[in-house]
Amino acid sequence: MVASELAQYVVTGLLVGGVYALMSIGLALIFGVMRVVNFAQGDFMMLGMYLTYYYAIALNVDPLLGALFALPPFFVLGLLVHRAFLARVTGGGDPNREMDAQLILTLGLSLVITNATTMILSPMPRGINAPYASKAFALGPLLLNQARSYSFLMALLLAAAVYVLLTRTDLGRALRAAADDPEAAGYQGINVRAMHGIAFGIGIALVAAAGGLLATYHPIEPNVAVNFIVLMFVAVVLGGLGSIPGAFVGGLVIGLVQSLTLLLLPLQLQNVGVFVTFLIVLYVRPQGLFGRRARAV
Amino acid sequence: MTARGRSWLGIAGIIAIGLALSLVITERYHQRILTLVFLWAAMGLAWNIISGYAGQISFGHQAFFGIGAYVTVLLAAKLGITPWLGMLAGALVAVLAALLIGTPTFRLAGIYFGLATLAYPLIFRIVMDYLGYQEVAIPMVRDRPALFMQFTEPRSFDLLALALLAATLVLSRLIEGSRLGYSLRAIKENEQAALAMGVDAFRCKMAAYALSAAPAALAGAIYSHAILFVVTPEAVFGVLVIVQTLVVCLVGGVGTLWGPVIGAAIMIPVSEILDSTVGDRLPGIQGVVYGAALMVIMMFAPEGLFWRIGRGRASATAPAAVATAAAPIETDAEPAPTTKGAVVLEVRSVSKAFLGLQALTDVTFDVRDGEILGIIGPNGAGKTTLFNVLNGFLLPERGEIRWQGEPITGLSPHLVCRRGIGRTFQVVRFFPHLTVLENVMVGAFAHGGTPAAATARARDALTRVGLAERAAVTPSGLTTLDLRLMELARCLATAPRLVLLDEPLAGLSADGVEIMSAMIRRGRQAGVTVVIIEHTIQALVKIADRLVVLDQGRRLAEGLPGDVTRNPAVIEAYLGQRWLARHATAHAADLRP
Amino acid sequence: MRRLSRPLALLLAVLLLAPTAVVPTAALAAEDVKIALVVPLSGRWARQGQLKKMGAEMAIEEINSQGGIKALGSAKLVLREADAGDSVEKAVSAAQRVLTREKISAGIGSWLSSFTLGVTEVAERLQVPWLSLSYADNITERGFKYTFQTSPVSSVQAEQALDLVVDIGKKNNRPIKKAALVGDNTAATVFFFKPLREKLLAAKGIELVADEVWTPPLADATSIVQKLRATQPDIVFYGATNFPDSVQMLQKVKEFGVRTAIQGVGAWLVTPEYVKTIGKDTMDGIQTVVAAHPMKGQEELVKKFKQRTGEPFMTQDPLCTYAHVWLIKEAAEQAKSADPKAIRDAIAKIDLTTGPAASSLYPNRIKFDERGRRVGASPIIVQWQDAEPYTVVPTAVATRPIALHK
Repeated sequence: MVASELAQYVVTGLLVGGVYALMSIGLALIFGVMRVVNFAQGDFMMLGMYLTYYYAIALNVDPLLGALFALPPFFVLGLLVHRAFLARVTGGGDPNREMDAQLILTLGLSLVITNATTMILSPMPRGINAPYASKAFALGPLLLNQARSYSFLMALLLAAAVYVLLTRTDLGRALRAAADDPEAAGYQGINVRAMHGIAFGIGIALVAAAGGLLATYHPIEPNVAVNFIVLMFVAVVLGGLGSIPGAFVGGLVIGLVQSLTLLLLPLQLQNVGVFVTFLIVLYVRPQGLFGRRARAV
Repeated sequence: MTARGRSWLGIAGIIAIGLALSLVITERYHQRILTLVFLWAAMGLAWNIISGYAGQISFGHQAFFGIGAYVTVLLAAKLGITPWLGMLAGALVAVLAALLIGTPTFRLAGIYFGLATLAYPLIFRIVMDYLGYQEVAIPMVRDRPALFMQFTEPRSFDLLALALLAATLVLSRLIEGSRLGYSLRAIKENEQAALAMGVDAFRCKMAAYALSAAPAALAGAIYSHAILFVVTPEAVFGVLVIVQTLVVCLVGGVGTLWGPVIGAAIMIPVSEILDSTVGDRLPGIQGVVYGAALMVIMMFAPEGLFWRIGRGRASATAPAAVATAAAPIETDAEPAPTTKGAVVLEVRSVSKAFLGLQALTDVTFDVRDGEILGIIGPNGAGKTTLFNVLNGFLLPERGEIRWQGEPITGLSPHLVCRRGIGRTFQVVRFFPHLTVLENVMVGAFAHGGTPAAATARARDALTRVGLAERAAVTPSGLTTLDLRLMELARCLATAPRLVLLDEPLAGLSADGVEIMSAMIRRGRQAGVTVVIIEHTIQALVKIADRLVVLDQGRRLAEGLPGDVTRNPAVIEAYLGQRWLARHATAHAADLRP
Repeated sequence: MRRLSRPLALLLAVLLLAPTAVVPTAALAAEDVKIALVVPLSGRWARQGQLKKMGAEMAIEEINSQGGIKALGSAKLVLREADAGDSVEKAVSAAQRVLTREKISAGIGSWLSSFTLGVTEVAERLQVPWLSLSYADNITERGFKYTFQTSPVSSVQAEQALDLVVDIGKKNNRPIKKAALVGDNTAATVFFFKPLREKLLAAKGIELVADEVWTPPLADATSIVQKLRATQPDIVFYGATNFPDSVQMLQKVKEFGVRTAIQGVGAWLVTPEYVKTIGKDTMDGIQTVVAAHPMKGQEELVKKFKQRTGEPFMTQDPLCTYAHVWLIKEAAEQAKSADPKAIRDAIAKIDLTTGPAASSLYPNRIKFDERGRRVGASPIIVQWQDAEPYTVVPTAVATRPIALHK
């Protein structure tokens, strides 16, 4: 194999992985702070795609910018959803017992969102048809799709912003304290419930922004989530449950594995490569690539 | 009537109702709904065996459902083998698959197990598409329909699905009442404690996984013939299968026979009613309403309808915490045994480190038959680590442990327990949703036997510690002393020759210490050798025959209590250099670290 | 016993109440002839179901406004939709529901071939004739008496489509020497590609230079398009039934400047959303093989359809259900009965060459063989031109001449 060809596989994989990465850090944040496995995460991404679409159609906002404008409304939506539903089945002390209720609750939420969107906005797929979706930057022999490159950079920026927020601000420290030991955080005067709400809001806002970036080249339809939700979970687990940098790297790894699998397996079995990698990582290093926690007993 | 009799009656009741409905309902669509209720209840019960009883949430159970469906249908379509045999083959393949998947996957704990199981059906699905089995239509056999499970009378499918449900209910009930059932629930509640009580957690989980794979495969086989008529990877390996299973179980309630049945009996008809009333007229609304119903149910009954409405047995039987029924204490002024027993446990140069932090260094001592050996040391001295090494939770880097002359270094905890070494924990590790009696029964099962025999042994152990009257309550209603006594009883029920007691006196009142000490002495009288950890010397000098002092992972001293407490090195470790300088002649009895 | 009584009572109540809650809808006037339409109206494929419903409703309105079924005293046609949702279980349940609740004379559906396979089983057992546009061969390989397939089956489509394509190449002096297969592994595509790969291409002396099949969703099309660029086939047989995959593929083809002619296999490639999502320029020139598309002489129909629905053009899905409803009407006229068995016998015997049903399908004749396949059914080729798909081959029914690939 020619080096440039291999390089193209790697570059393609990384570009694909960039958006997986941004999708996944929201999920990781929610899991990290709240210990909630949110089945409806993909549906918020879908809503983010629609909002970005309407920004583009109605206000002529470029989707790359529209993705950013999706952050505030979805943060608020996340807060509301947490307050109205999730707060009732989280923070009760025994995460294992609460998981059942959370699974079904978020599943129900997902059904409501998908079906309501189909009814209200019709099942017809839409697209933004951004001009850069079918253009490429030529980098020597390598071709980098422009939409994916822009999305990748934006994803990187957003992820870095989240990282700074979590590690360099008081809010971030409070969030991490609530994640590490809710009881101790409570004693220190941190309102754990409020932290859960904020984490959920940020998590939802991030995945909605990821949806907006995805919308630069991916069609928008009410059922778009099914194509991504499994990969999001895989990314979060690969990186280490609850680890934000881990989830980002996990997303990139999925993109890379998808791309490099093609060197070994037929195209049809592309995702077998992803799931086998997922199993190997779990078996060899259950805490994930970036997880600190030992095996949860 | 006993609880046991009641649940059999309940099963009979469900079967009777099912039969009655199969006979009463005549419309084909309603018969189909009934078949679906029975099938999803059976699938839910299958999932419940591994995820409800054993607490190992499986997100990939559709793997077995799909294997059952594909094996049966492919055998019929390609080789003309009747599905009646095919589904048995499917169940067999599913059990094999469960063993293959379980072997690496049960090394993972908690949510990691569930996440790993998620990957298998995803892989199977892709592989089925790859192999060209996108759509396998079930060939219609007109001349011998019954032989190929193609009944013209839909009632036959109702009865077939009901038979599977009945079989799964009976299987579940048998598991519940068996040694395996107790072990599984113990694993779910506290795996470490279960291991220490001689439960072979890995084998129990594997058994439960295999047992739950078989009915799932049968459900898949019947589902494909009664409901689908065509098998696609998505229909049997798809996410919707596990979603339906989870809905049925979690809405109904997990860990009980009735939960999945209730969940299926409610959610399947609700979904069909929505489809047939509003769904056909305003497509999509059925999904919105169904999703909203799921949300409301989980906010109202987070642990499922059964536990909410039936309120389970915990609240039905658990009274408020009651002060201990003081165990009869004879102040047995028993003389310390002067005869030196044979060495039963030899600890030789044991070392253990965590991430470079040396927890134990070169620890060596002996335990003699029939003695009470106290191990003391300040916090962080490595006492609990020592116990964890002794009972097999941790593997030492160096050193050897011999029990009755045989090496037990690195033996699994449950095997250490079965060889006669029991233990308790610094913070009592009990099984919160089991009654006191059942808690102790888990220990009593260590050497096998029937549930009846285990019950008898457990009652006996409870009587010995004076907790017989608390047998029927759940541990949440117990005082600290009673909890410690229960844990001691559970440990004694494993019929140990040696018990390792991790701070059994911690947190007890003066009276409590008296009672506990009496129990420990009585145990020794019954021929059990005792090793106790304490960090207060005072309590220990009263009951221990000998002491071993640990400090920073090293054995500092060993000997008779009187000698050890006068040892300058010990005093220094406990009280520091300055104190030693000032009170060089102080009597050991004054030591109050 | 108390512990059990409550859940059991609940269980009993629900199980007993459930059937009574599923009340049949109010019965209609006795003379109405009811047609069941079981298609996905919610979930992932709701859009296709909606399009099919549009065609059926249009035909019913036409028939009823023209006096209904004359042989039955001007009986009106009534459509009974049932939502097949997004799983085989739901689709079969929907068929069971709609067929047992009321006296249905005939049924139509269910778009996805796996749904059709399950649904026709129900129709067969309840002896209700069922019309399907699905292509899969195995739908009419089971010896069913009540299933009728109006589309050419996949294996026939592949063979005839290849003939047409080779023919177009010859006529234009651009013979096809190298071909590629690019598509997903859903049933529709697999059944089309299989005969091409195994014998048809070789029989025509065409070399298969790239064979790229994926499991949807497609992560990235780069490697596929690179292969096309490297092997330079004269034609790509293209089967990406999942819309996002297809969009990605076509964008990538444009991005890499690959100029190979794209020959789609199926009607999924001619939906209006393509133009809106990736633009006219990308689509123009792309061809696809379909089982049905508005032909010469159907201009009025298309105009009416566009007015009714607001859709920019008419495609296979509404056209087929339109034809199916008209076919049922003709069968009811000939049977002089609304009884499903009589209608089934009438359909089995029917031989139509005129009327809305026959003129909507190519060739314009509706007659079924003993397996329930339409005699002579053959595919037509549609090409995107100026943001709209037109029938271009066979030329006799073409609405526009074919535009040559540049």
